Amino acid sequence: MKNVKLVLVLGLAVVLVAAFTLPGCVPEVEEEVPTGPIKIALLIPLTGPFAMFGELQKNAFAIAYEDLEAEGKNIINGRKIELLITDTQSSKDIAKTAAERVISVDMVDMIGSVYSSAEGAAIAPVAEEYKVPVLINAASKDAITEQGYQWVFRANCPSSHYTDAPVEFFEQVLKPKTAALVYENTDFGMSSAKGLRLRFEILGIEIIHDEAYEKGGLDFTPMLAKIREKNPDLFYPVSYVMDAVKVSEDMKKLGLNIDCFFGGGAGYVMVEYVEALGKDTEGIFSTTLWVPSVNWPGGVGRNSTDFANEYLKRFGKDPHYIAAQAYSSMYVIQDALSRAEEISHEGIRKALAETDKTFTMGPIKFESWSDDIGHSYTQQNKAPTYVVQWQNEKLEVIWPLKVKTADYIFPTPKWGEK
Amino acid sequence: MTLFGQTVVSGLLLGGIYALIAIGMTLIMGVMKIINLAHGALIMVSMYIAWVLFNVWGIDPYLSMFVVMPILFGIGFLIQRYMIQRVYGVETILPQSQLLLTLGIVMVLTEVIRAIFKSDYYTVRTSYSTSTFFLGDISVSIPMAIGFGIAMALVAALHIFLSRTDLGRSIRATAQDRDAARYMGVNSVRITAITYGLGAALAAAGGVLFLPMFYLWPDICPMFTIKAFIITVLGGMGSTVGALSGGLILGIAESLGATYWAMGYRDVVGLIIFILVLLFLPYGFKSLIKR
Amino acid sequence: MTKRNKLSLTVVAIVLLALPWMIQASYYKDIIIMTLMWITLASSWNLLGGYAGQVSLGHTLFFGVGAYSAGLMAHHFGVSPWWGLLLGPVMAVIIGTPIGLICFRLRGPYFTLSLLALGEIFRLVALNWESLTNGAVGILTMRTWPGVKEPYYYIMLAITALCIYTCYRLMRSKFGYYFLAIREDQDAAEGLGIPTTKYKLYALIPSALFTGLAGAFYMNYHGFIEPDIVFGLIHISVMIVLCVMMGGAGTLGGPALGAVIYYVLNELLRVPLGAASRLVFGVIVCLVIMFLPNGIVGEMSRSGRLRGLFRRRKPSYTGGE
Repeated sequence: MKNVKLVLVLGLAVVLVAAFTLPGCVPEVEEEVPTGPIKIALLIPLTGPFAMFGELQKNAFAIAYEDLEAEGKNIINGRKIELLITDTQSSKDIAKTAAERVISVDMVDMIGSVYSSAEGAAIAPVAEEYKVPVLINAASKDAITEQGYQWVFRANCPSSHYTDAPVEFFEQVLKPKTAALVYENTDFGMSSAKGLRLRFEILGIEIIHDEAYEKGGLDFTPMLAKIREKNPDLFYPVSYVMDAVKVSEDMKKLGLNIDCFFGGGAGYVMVEYVEALGKDTEGIFSTTLWVPSVNWPGGVGRNSTDFANEYLKRFGKDPHYIAAQAYSSMYVIQDALSRAEEISHEGIRKALAETDKTFTMGPIKFESWSDDIGHSYTQQNKAPTYVVQWQNEKLEVIWPLKVKTADYIFPTPKWGEK
Repeated sequence: MTLFGQTVVSGLLLGGIYALIAIGMTLIMGVMKIINLAHGALIMVSMYIAWVLFNVWGIDPYLSMFVVMPILFGIGFLIQRYMIQRVYGVETILPQSQLLLTLGIVMVLTEVIRAIFKSDYYTVRTSYSTSTFFLGDISVSIPMAIGFGIAMALVAALHIFLSRTDLGRSIRATAQDRDAARYMGVNSVRITAITYGLGAALAAAGGVLFLPMFYLWPDICPMFTIKAFIITVLGGMGSTVGALSGGLILGIAESLGATYWAMGYRDVVGLIIFILVLLFLPYGFKSLIKR
Repeated sequence: MTKRNKLSLTVVAIVLLALPWMIQASYYKDIIIMTLMWITLASSWNLLGGYAGQVSLGHTLFFGVGAYSAGLMAHHFGVSPWWGLLLGPVMAVIIGTPIGLICFRLRGPYFTLSLLALGEIFRLVALNWESLTNGAVGILTMRTWPGVKEPYYYIMLAITALCIYTCYRLMRSKFGYYFLAIREDQDAAEGLGIPTTKYKLYALIPSALFTGLAGAFYMNYHGFIEPDIVFGLIHISVMIVLCVMMGGAGTLGGPALGAVIYYVLNELLRVPLGAASRLVFGVIVCLVIMFLPNGIVGEMSRSGRLRGLFRRRKPSYTGGE
């Protein structure tokens, strides 16, 4: 009896799988001259823990696409650009499966957007294996562009280089002697910390506290109490999303005042940060990849201020740099498609490799380069980074000097005096 | 010394709120002997309701507890009566099939909340959110202290309810021996649903107490669920005093671990204590307090 | 084995062997490979959870140990991660045995929760022990056969077949009856002279072994692992339980069917529904377990067919009369 059931069930499983895969059984007819739309897949998280950022990307792409439409640029040689938005459910496995799908079933011409580091690390090899160009605009894992991939392009900064502008700023302006470095134990946090350790050593800044924390913490007081005992010149926490709010609030509760409170990107520049902390943000430094006030001359598409206003008007929220990166990517894609000799994977790859223009988030050019801390990248854009500071609840650029919008305040005011 | 004092004080305050969250779980596990994965989701829902009350009508989170707790009691009661009861106590191959049902409930609640509120992070910040007072060099956060106070008051109220009222005694009787309670004329279906509702309401209170100093988003659930599990086992199922001591001990242990070991291992400390207790005190701290 | 059974088994085997040649798009092959992996995970969990009744919410630790055994070999010694197929299961068993010996003293929800805690401990240690595991950065390797799916398919198919065959043989032997006896009533089993801890361990060892094997395969197939993924409580531990209970715990075909439903249904929903797919999936999970508390296969083998699907089940606990 048991046997019959086993066979029945196994058979049922096979039938289910087979039924599902049946459309794949039909041999694909090679089209000679494709006439349909040019398909661009966006593999972004719309559910799960990263959904908020997927939403930012989706919205920014929507604005960019409508802008292109208004200019009539969304049609290339009579073929319309079509965006195929796919949810990765914030899961690396689903992201990989989704990449396989858009490549082998939907036959997309390229993949245009990838959010998290883990998803990037899953999608990039798939794209490489099937020779489909992929443009990464948010996944910051260093290793993605360190594998020598020929088909993977990255417009955003790798996580070790988020600290470029701050390091220059410390070297030339603040010159701290001692630093406390804390970071979330994710790829982003650990890579940033690794890069900083090497750079601080070069600059002669002594790291007197170095600690990772589990992201999403309920209470940071024990860690901050230890830092209070050591009293460093510089406090550099690398936190994502709301941990930044918690760290700052717990510092306030402890009365932990540090001359230079320097948030390491991401969380410290989000709208939610200033919404939660209000005027307590005064004088807090951070690093960021895009600011609404820096308008690159000669940029394709809306300039930064314009984009920020449009995003606010449309979605009722200030955009994060993730959105600006996504907006620029749409234009990078359009630019490459318009220059491509033929709309094929190889043609698009060649055109992408020759990208050399200025976009909303800054100049984009995919180059091979090495840095002073042992990374060597291929087809990696050298994205600009900025040092910003919260002044009167607004982000002001203070470094690099040529784009600064305000003088910096130093030291960061004490918590009670803001 | 300041460092040690600071560590213990913040751990203690946090532990008080942990205890409140866990007491809801301990009631449910004590009476129903099920693994309720939906606990964190109920906390999340309560936080969203409180957020709406704060943002739309400007109701202070502590006042909104009077609204949120009854709502969550209702939600919990209905979930138990019309969903879990269907599979509860049914003769199945594995008795744990309700585990999967509670998982399904988590998925549905999370996605419904996501559909309504998007995946954005929300905060509720009141004038007292970051205010503190100092005991010597040790800073004490006022919302934490208030939260601790309310948590303790609720725990005391619950303890009195369970030991002095008929309904409370029925709940305890059902927890101890369902069949015997049934023979004594206790309507176990109703009692179970009330218990689940009560558990949900207490979880809601815990969530609301976190609101002025934490944030909320749809995927916040697993963290609370895991904490509640740990404390429930630390304290022993169905014991309010056990859950209270479990919560406080977990809070303090985590803080000490974060200070003297490493922040990244903060949760490991709690988990190791958890396993040690499972092995050496299988019935939790309540077996120590047992008269 | 009857002649008819043999025949149908042969047909199934031929179909499975020919499957990758019947399909063109790599996407479908990917889905089938991942489904096979989930069948292995669910079937091996079923051995401990479904048959022996020891519900574990910590199987991710065996999966992660398997995956990291393969990954760390490649990371530290530069050898092929395929060696992980040997080392992974061995490590999973080596780590699983003491865990079993200690935790089998606990019963019911206590056992479940102790394994949940152990899984989380492994995740946190893997995350924080940077020098050994490379921390959150994870391990990224090159795949052996880029762009080709067939080798992976056959390897995974062999693993799955071996796993199901092991379950089948075990359950037809003395072990199977002992497992069931332990699940139905541990005290009675003890009274009959079954050394329960020993036999629970006999259920745990193949369970950990195949979970570790699947983990090692995962490392090779995906080429990238990090602690939050392979030691994931929600992504792995809970989802294995979901597969088994949807299909039917304590049956041979149930976990396989559950895994097929879990992975294929999720894909079928994800593509047309987008963000709403998780909601629909959650509703389906609730409905399945409310109306089929024994899982799909479990109900089939109980009543012969899906009779009484909507009949209100009479709970054995009713009170207040």
